[in-house]
Amino acid sequence: MQRRDRGIAQSLGLPLTKCVKESRVLLVGAGGIGCEVLKNLVCCGFGSLPGAASSKKPGIVAHQEAKAFVAKETASQFNPSVNIDAHHASIFDSQYNVEFFETFDLVFNALDNLAARRHVNRMCLAADVPLIESGTTGFNGQVQAIKKGVTECYDCNPKPVQKSFPICMIRSTPSQPIHCIVWAKSYLLPELFGTSEEESADVAVTEGDSADEIAKLKEEAEALKNVRRMMGKSEFAQEVFDKVFHDDIERLRSMTEMWQSRKAPKALSFDGLKAGLETDIIEHGRTLTDQDQVVWSVQDDLAVFTYALDTLSNRCLTGEKVIEFDKDDKDTLDFVASAANLRSHIFDIPLHSEWVIKQMAGNIIPAIATSNALTASLCVMEGFKILRSQLGSVGGKEEATLGGAKMVFLNSRSTERMITTQTLAPPKADCPVCSPVYAKLRLRNGEGGEATLQELVDLLKEKVGHEDFAITTEAGIIYDPDLEDNLEKPLKDYVTHGNSFITVSDEGDEAKVDLVLSTVTQSGEEAELQLLPDSIMLPFKPKKELPAETNGHAGEIRATPEVVAAPTTTSSAGAKRKREADEESESVKKRVMASKSEVHVVDDDGAILLDDD
Amino acid sequence: MAVTDADVPPPLLDIPKAKEKKYDRQLRLWGIGGQIALEETHILLINSGSGVTGVEMLKNLVLPLIHHPRLRCGVGGRSRCELLHGRCLAWQVPGSRDGHAITEPLETFITKDDVFSPYNLIVAAAPTHANILERIQTHSQTLHIPAFYFHSVGYLSSFSLLLPPAFPIVDTHPDSTATTDLRLLRPWSALSQFAKEKAEGLEDGTISAPDKAHIPWACLLLHYLEQWKQQHDGKVPNTYKEKSEFRNLVRAGDPNEENFEEAYAAVLKTLNPPTAPSAVREIFAAPETQQLDAASSAFWLIANAVAQFYAKHEQLPLPGAVPDMKAQSADYIMLQNIYKSKARDDCAEVVTSVRELEKQTGRSPKQAVDEKEVENFCKGAAHIHLVRGRPLQIAHAGQIIAFGDRAKAMASELNMPESLIGLHIAFLAWDEYVATHSTPASQAGGVGLKVPGSGADDFGIDTQRVTGIAHKIVDSLIKEAGTFVEDPEYSEVKDRVGKFCMEIVRAGGGELHNIASLTGGLLAQEVIKVITRQYIPVDNTCLFDGVASRTQVLRL
Repeated sequence: MQRRDRGIAQSLGLPLTKCVKESRVLLVGAGGIGCEVLKNLVCCGFGSLPGAASSKKPGIVAHQEAKAFVAKETASQFNPSVNIDAHHASIFDSQYNVEFFETFDLVFNALDNLAARRHVNRMCLAADVPLIESGTTGFNGQVQAIKKGVTECYDCNPKPVQKSFPICMIRSTPSQPIHCIVWAKSYLLPELFGTSEEESADVAVTEGDSADEIAKLKEEAEALKNVRRMMGKSEFAQEVFDKVFHDDIERLRSMTEMWQSRKAPKALSFDGLKAGLETDIIEHGRTLTDQDQVVWSVQDDLAVFTYALDTLSNRCLTGEKVIEFDKDDKDTLDFVASAANLRSHIFDIPLHSEWVIKQMAGNIIPAIATSNALTASLCVMEGFKILRSQLGSVGGKEEATLGGAKMVFLNSRSTERMITTQTLAPPKADCPVCSPVYAKLRLRNGEGGEATLQELVDLLKEKVGHEDFAITTEAGIIYDPDLEDNLEKPLKDYVTHGNSFITVSDEGDEAKVDLVLSTVTQSGEEAELQLLPDSIMLPFKPKKELPAETNGHAGEIRATPEVVAAPTTTSSAGAKRKREADEESESVKKRVMASKSEVHVVDDDGAILLDDD
Repeated sequence: MAVTDADVPPPLLDIPKAKEKKYDRQLRLWGIGGQIALEETHILLINSGSGVTGVEMLKNLVLPLIHHPRLRCGVGGRSRCELLHGRCLAWQVPGSRDGHAITEPLETFITKDDVFSPYNLIVAAAPTHANILERIQTHSQTLHIPAFYFHSVGYLSSFSLLLPPAFPIVDTHPDSTATTDLRLLRPWSALSQFAKEKAEGLEDGTISAPDKAHIPWACLLLHYLEQWKQQHDGKVPNTYKEKSEFRNLVRAGDPNEENFEEAYAAVLKTLNPPTAPSAVREIFAAPETQQLDAASSAFWLIANAVAQFYAKHEQLPLPGAVPDMKAQSADYIMLQNIYKSKARDDCAEVVTSVRELEKQTGRSPKQAVDEKEVENFCKGAAHIHLVRGRPLQIAHAGQIIAFGDRAKAMASELNMPESLIGLHIAFLAWDEYVATHSTPASQAGGVGLKVPGSGADDFGIDTQRVTGIAHKIVDSLIKEAGTFVEDPEYSEVKDRVGKFCMEIVRAGGGELHNIASLTGGLLAQEVIKVITRQYIPVDNTCLFDGVASRTQVLRL
């Protein structure tokens, strides 16, 4: 035994040490927690440690890609005998399909975003591999062990959705600084330098928004597009300013009924505000941008606004096609901070320093090294427990859930209980993500990979024994007994990635649990379409104790904007109940029609808007 | 640097951009002042054993620092530490190697007179010989330098803080829900007047619907409090029952409007008499507050002035912040101004007292208390905190440890089945074993100390030895506390302590990396709290059981 292994073996015992050394572990994410986890894994003797895949959000900056390699380089120095395989790609890529996940004994999530967390959660459920999920915020941290059928999964408990604001509150009647910041960040900046507001998740048309007003706002945005054409001319700043801080405000002000219970806004004029400023306004703005801890005066905001507009215009004219808000892109932050403050002033809302605005606009979560280190250590500790449980029972004792793994909470700000635990809860019977049975569906790709939806339907009838059922993919419901328009279409139209999920929900009277198929595309000689395992016996759904049909449908299926944003979750607790709910409450209704590429949202009551026409 | 001085570094506006960008996320936790305090820190780590925990701690401290840290990490002890230390710095902060390793043998290093003076924080890793630990303790107490002593063995770890006898914290970062202080039970005339204006016409129904829907909830509560007082001989709702009744009165005003709903929800949280918490009253009564002299630090001067304020007004200075509430912007700003202006007046009164005290104590004008500091104190007056540092419990060969005034509390803790005090006693026994098995050279720090279970066949015999020492400590503790523990409880206590002993002997002094990493994280966390003088540090011992993933903090 090597010297470095001795201390480890003394604590872990020989059987577990051997198991740890032989294990294959996947670490997703090589950021704050990920690097710490990797270091701990290496130093704890996780011997053959392949696949530290740094997941990154699709389409994000390139330098993050280097992360996994840097982490590997550094960690290898700690223990040269360790075998690390670094991947720098999105975890959503088709190469990381369910069969990839199946090759691991344990998966660690060290991610910073909800979408990737959910994805890995599902992949681990599908591959039936234990997952250790972790996260930190400031002084707090949390570690959760997840195993299909044994514990709650990541999605058993609803996660807070990103807050979105009613469009009228952003565009017409702001009352808090954040409204003005969102306006600057998600309306003004994109209208001038990027793509338009419709695509922003921060703003949504809600019930309270009046249709007339929305129509007016559309006109306003059109007019702004005309101003955009003046970019590069010396009067550009003044034109923009007078358009959004004078003309638009005057229009709003003229709608007297809007201001009966609110204070009416006061328009600003460029010349009026600039009066008295001796120095060159752009130069003045440039110097101010270094003082981000003080609250600028309104005239200062004008100067910064002019400077930022000038800088961004130059970037645009020298080839940058689209400039999007990034809290670390100082030019865009200068623009958003000054524009938000000018608007706040108009609506008599308190102004803030650029530093404070950065936190609000960038959704900055405070973070420190110590919390990451603590959380990562706890992750590895849970990893030991899970691996030990895979060794089987030692000494005939009855094994605790996952070797005694717990839900661990870190609160190092507290002085009493810094680390506390909670017993892992069993899976929620109605969890839309982990209650279904998972299976694989092999599709042949390349030439001839033309299996149609009809073939899948036939396969399911034959191998699973389904009669009335619905099929849902990320795009929505593609098949049910009343929707047969898509049957002749090739399946690959719906399965965009090699690792997507297809949900099959039984619509019979005595419904079986949902079946989720993870797709694996492959070239080869096998059949066009193949189910793994070859035939599946689905159990029946547990009976609901209370008929929940009487009220609160919308709440039950979480018919929030999130449903539109992440359609896979709508395939929740059985599409049948969902469809009934839709028809009764007329909330979210969503179908993919025969034309496949366009997503039509049938918007019954105006609660949610996502029309792409 | 004397640490009794409670001076908080002033916020800097001109901090370099690159630095700000890099440390943006942590600056939002402890501000520029905290960051500067961290950068000016010189830490001495006296590492020992395999040394992983100490190095992990350093890494966590180096990470939040800047490219050119003035942090100096002295690592005394085995030569291997130097290697680990160098690696630690290279691991994630390639640019920052300002820290240096002290390769001088501990036995000559530690005997120099002014060896500790360059540092403002000392961390020592177990095993450290009792003599050296005593030396650290003496220096720490004379120079008022905080010191940490930690164990990390296998799945188990613990650390203790040796803080100065008085360690006050102004910026405790209380939970945001705990900081709302609107003084609704003791409104001043400007506030009462404003509330009256806003609620004008509410009772006779002459108020317009939009106006009614925009009465800020604070004003609504003040309005209904007046009504309540008229019906209850001038008394305010006091008991839970009365407050519930009052809540219903508020809701009856309009069950549909959002502002009434907000007011209803705020009743239990905000209708509290403005009495200072007992921890704050203890600070007011502390000898340091009461007996000022020219050398008293600003903290005690302000504490005295605020105590005077409290004695006079029976309430603390107003913090002045107003939570978000449904209101017209103009009204909300007016309400904010009413609170801000009262807070300014209160603060001004305290400043006047402070100036008076400066004169009385003959303080040099150069050391005049910064007004900004008074303002911070007034804002957080309800949450200021004082830690009374305690000496370390050091195990010597063949000596009985005196637990003094903690004996009673510790003895009663022994009886708690869930308590981790057994781990503390096991580590004390472990230390005593080390002290007993030392040679003259290891006492001086020249060669490695022998830890239990480290030899090939030591496990059985060392477990017996360490458990024996631990049981002896349990007995002397019970005796010193003047209590008596009967069977079966007595056997259970010994069992629990024995299990911890077995576990730490089994590890043979080896560290499990993730536990070392975790302990290093906890240590770094507390070092940061102590250095930035923000948040409340552990008082004074933190025990971690990795098997159960559980911590406990005990005052020992």
